[in-house]
Amino acid sequence: MKDISQMIKLVAIEKKDVLLSILFGFLAGMAAVGLFASSGYLISRAALVPPLYALTVLIAFLKLFGFARALGRYAERYYSHRATFTMLSNIRVAFFEKLEPYAPRVFQKYRSGDLLARIVGDVESLQNFFLRVYYPPVVLVVIFLSTIVFTSVFSTSIAIVLLLGLTLTGVFVPFLFSLRQRTIENRVRESRGELSIDVTEFLYGFRDLKIYQQLEDKEERLHESSSSYIREQEREGMQRIFSHSVNTLVSLLISWVVLGLGAYLVARGDLNGLFLAMLVMISLTVFENATPMAVLPSHLEDSKRASRRLFSIGDEMIEDNGRLHLAGGESYGFELSGVDFRFPEEERQTLQQVNLKIPAGSKTALVGPSGSGKSTLLQLLLKIHTPNQGEILLNEHPMAQIDEESVWSKSNVVLQENHFFFGTVRENLQLAKDDLTDEQMLDALRDVELGSFQLDYPVFEKGENLSGGEKQRLAMARALLKGEQLWILDEPTSSIDALTERKIYERLFNQAEKDTLILVSHRLTGLELMDQIIVMDEGTIVEKGTYNELMHKQGYFYEMKQIEKTIFG
Amino acid sequence: MKHLSKLAFGQRKVILALFIISLIIGGTIIGQAYFFVAIVDRIFLEQQSFQEIVPLLAGLLLVLAGRAGFTWLHGRTGVKMAARAKSHFRQAIIKKFSRNPIQASLKGQSGRKVSVLMDSVDEIDGYFSNYVPQMIQTAVIPLMILIVVFTQHIYSGLIMLITAPFIPFFMAIVGVMTKKKSEEQMEKLSAFSGKFLDTLQGLTTLKLFGRAQKQKDEIEKSSLGFRDATMGVLKVAFISSLMLEFISMLSIGLIALEIAIRLVVYESIPFFSAFFILVLAPEFYLTLKDFGSAFHTGRGSSGAANQLAEELSETESYVEWGEEKLSAGSNPPFLELENVHFSYGKEEGLFALENIQATIPAYSQTAIVGRSGSGKSTLLHVVAGLIQPSEGQVKVNGEVLSFYQEHEWFKEVSYISQHPYLFSGTIAENIAIGGRGDHTMNDIKAAAQRAGIAELIESLERGYETPVGEAGRGLSGGEKQRLAIARAFLKRPSVILFDEPTTGLDLKTERILQESMKELSKTSTVITVAHRLHTIKNADQILFLDQGNLAALGPHEVLMERHPEYKEMVRLQQGGTPA
Repeated sequence: MKDISQMIKLVAIEKKDVLLSILFGFLAGMAAVGLFASSGYLISRAALVPPLYALTVLIAFLKLFGFARALGRYAERYYSHRATFTMLSNIRVAFFEKLEPYAPRVFQKYRSGDLLARIVGDVESLQNFFLRVYYPPVVLVVIFLSTIVFTSVFSTSIAIVLLLGLTLTGVFVPFLFSLRQRTIENRVRESRGELSIDVTEFLYGFRDLKIYQQLEDKEERLHESSSSYIREQEREGMQRIFSHSVNTLVSLLISWVVLGLGAYLVARGDLNGLFLAMLVMISLTVFENATPMAVLPSHLEDSKRASRRLFSIGDEMIEDNGRLHLAGGESYGFELSGVDFRFPEEERQTLQQVNLKIPAGSKTALVGPSGSGKSTLLQLLLKIHTPNQGEILLNEHPMAQIDEESVWSKSNVVLQENHFFFGTVRENLQLAKDDLTDEQMLDALRDVELGSFQLDYPVFEKGENLSGGEKQRLAMARALLKGEQLWILDEPTSSIDALTERKIYERLFNQAEKDTLILVSHRLTGLELMDQIIVMDEGTIVEKGTYNELMHKQGYFYEMKQIEKTIFG
Repeated sequence: MKHLSKLAFGQRKVILALFIISLIIGGTIIGQAYFFVAIVDRIFLEQQSFQEIVPLLAGLLLVLAGRAGFTWLHGRTGVKMAARAKSHFRQAIIKKFSRNPIQASLKGQSGRKVSVLMDSVDEIDGYFSNYVPQMIQTAVIPLMILIVVFTQHIYSGLIMLITAPFIPFFMAIVGVMTKKKSEEQMEKLSAFSGKFLDTLQGLTTLKLFGRAQKQKDEIEKSSLGFRDATMGVLKVAFISSLMLEFISMLSIGLIALEIAIRLVVYESIPFFSAFFILVLAPEFYLTLKDFGSAFHTGRGSSGAANQLAEELSETESYVEWGEEKLSAGSNPPFLELENVHFSYGKEEGLFALENIQATIPAYSQTAIVGRSGSGKSTLLHVVAGLIQPSEGQVKVNGEVLSFYQEHEWFKEVSYISQHPYLFSGTIAENIAIGGRGDHTMNDIKAAAQRAGIAELIESLERGYETPVGEAGRGLSGGEKQRLAIARAFLKRPSVILFDEPTTGLDLKTERILQESMKELSKTSTVITVAHRLHTIKNADQILFLDQGNLAALGPHEVLMERHPEYKEMVRLQQGGTPA
């Protein structure tokens, strides 16, 4: 139950809607029982030909129950759904609050790209927690107990039979099946996973499969994994139908017992025959309320899994305990000694024995093939990652002692992936700093050769309506607007043509004249102005020096440069 | 839904079975009501003894068991039918895709196809497992109940007959209303619901700009906005079921009232009939209401079904193959391109290749050169036999490619792409996929050695058994290239098609690529989409493509001399970027 305690706490916040859902659920359920009970009673009464006014009262009851049931059901649905959606909002906020302090470090631990989509999915699946897990049993128990109390007025033994039936259909049968259900659902999930891998490989790896003549085998396998997925789904469906039928059978049998017992009691004179029809009708109706119990176990399981996954994210993360705040108004230098870094899931070191000095106010370029560790090194400088070994000093303070947010607030960062939010260009630029004027923003746009952009231009989710080059330039504009004195730029112009790149760099170097600038560059051009060029390969620094020194040396950089010269676009 | 209903009702036997089972279920419902009522009647009014009603109780037990049993059978039949339908669709789609998804992957639609194959097929389940069986039940059971009620009491039957149509009528009205309402809210809904994901995805950016904490309120605001918009839509749906509830409730109440009055005032109806009708009436409306929810499921499936039908009806040309063997001989094959055309769409002006004419001798090295979008990769695909030229032909050893068996041709070919695909499996399996099936582990190791990746593999804890691909760890771009080269070394093809990487790899991989191609080309005919000057200079001939046309053909030196556009391109590449 520990997985779910977080959820229960979140449910408790919405007390009012929760109580209203339960209340109206109870009302609707009771009204239905009342409706059928009174119709049974009415008909029996009518058979005895009573005075008409007695019937009139009963008929009024009948109508009342009818309306109460319909309205109760409506109100129950309304409040329970409203409670659910408010809860989803609370879950999102609670989750965000938990995640936020660890971002962006937390994303290194879960590098799989679908983490975020999974989080969203988990939150969505938790909507079933209140609707299908939390309140139906409460309503059920209250209705059952009330019904049983009411029935016991007429016959204790029939009340006991009902109690037995309700335990069977409400608890015993659903939980009996839930055990099997769980294994079956796991198998469905597994076989779906297998099919999904096969489908992906089939479509994305098609060319290689075709050339290597593996396509037929793969197609065969695809058919097989599809069949086994469908087979598992079928088994799941069969199981669902079976458990449903068993539950129906049990409730019908209980009604049968109620009828038999009632008949026996009437025949013996222990029960007034007038109530027989009523009791049978009650029994036939009340079991309807047990139906939601059939799906409860699997939703409970889902909710547990979702909330466990959701709220364990960040569990083993250590909060940043740097207390030192950077004052700003100065430029920053770095010193790295013996830095090793390995991603938790990786076998190989991403960085090995990195020793590096970046003087304050200097301009540094990091170059090297993809996967050589350049971006990771940048992230270490930003305190997004912390080294496994070795030390990083920022202006002579150990990085560990500096508040991470203080590092970020004092740097202008452009990453390889920059996020843009749904909204306008203005809103996305305003992230950079408070109190920016339109003129400043327009100037920045011009500086990155986006003079044609209006501040009111819409930006879609993830900047989907922008080209790669436009996104990079907007990110650069954001960095220019921020105007701090540490520049950390990861391939900021890889999708921009050389001419535009040169113009943007000119303005950048102008603004950053006295600042520290660290640039990962995908091109080996325009590096003559750099104070030092760091060449990386397989997580180590293989060379460093100025452009002229490296060219003169004719080492790794020189060779890369030769290859680049001969590469055709 | 047409497509689905054809498929469903095409399964005659199953449909017939569902009908028969529905009839039986209808029978048990009526029987159940009958026995219940008869027992109450005899005990309560006729004051019979318990012994006298025991046979009725036995009958009731039988009917109840029958009802549960046949409901189970009915559900099973639906589930089975759904499984068959899904299997039918998925097989058809797989077959379709296996013919020619290259075009789709060229158009970048593989992701959509994955979802068609997985989700769309799953979504039709509801139509078969829920909608069709419920529809048949609704066609049979209310009618049976109605007939029985009419035999008991005409007026009650009439009330049912008149009130019943209100249910589908209201359902239709509400369906239209919710649809309109939800369409109105759609944009709002998607904006609100996207906000959370948008914020999570942008969390790094937000943190770096010190804006993350503010977002908490934004998330709450948009979540609550989402709630209110959703509740707006849901309210309509809830009101609709409220109305349905009212209709059936009022109808039942009306029947009860009518019966009671007749029973008391006119004494024109026996207790048995009155009670019998009263028990049957809710069953009648319940079946109608159940159909309503099944109908929603059915409509959900029909969207997916349309998608599937669309996918299946798409015509794509696929590559034809023949029956002949490709006589290997001692030399690798020579190729001829005769008047090769290829276009992506039927629309005019979408030509990717036009009138390509060239001869590629055995052992030769040919480089395909041109700006991006000039059709280089498409030409390589045509030569590989992965897409069918819309006009003209590729000839191998003087015969059209479609003259040979598919297997015979691909046995001779290695294709090294810019982004070699890693299949989920071990590294050894990924290298072995290149082989002809007769290799040993030592062959694999030797191939890895030649491709300069053995050292790396052996440094891994599990060596050649390290899982890669979907499930396992990734390799860097350079390492994947080397793995693809290892595949080629294992296969020793006589034709090599090579799509050279556009960006610089690590020096080691660059060197290995050069050396390996040199080595491999000793025994094969090589065609390269070239991005490196040394590859171009080493080529025996160059196919210079410009907007799908063969602008020039010949060795590098000749083209440099005679072809100003080619010269300009080379000059731009070397001097165009400021060095």
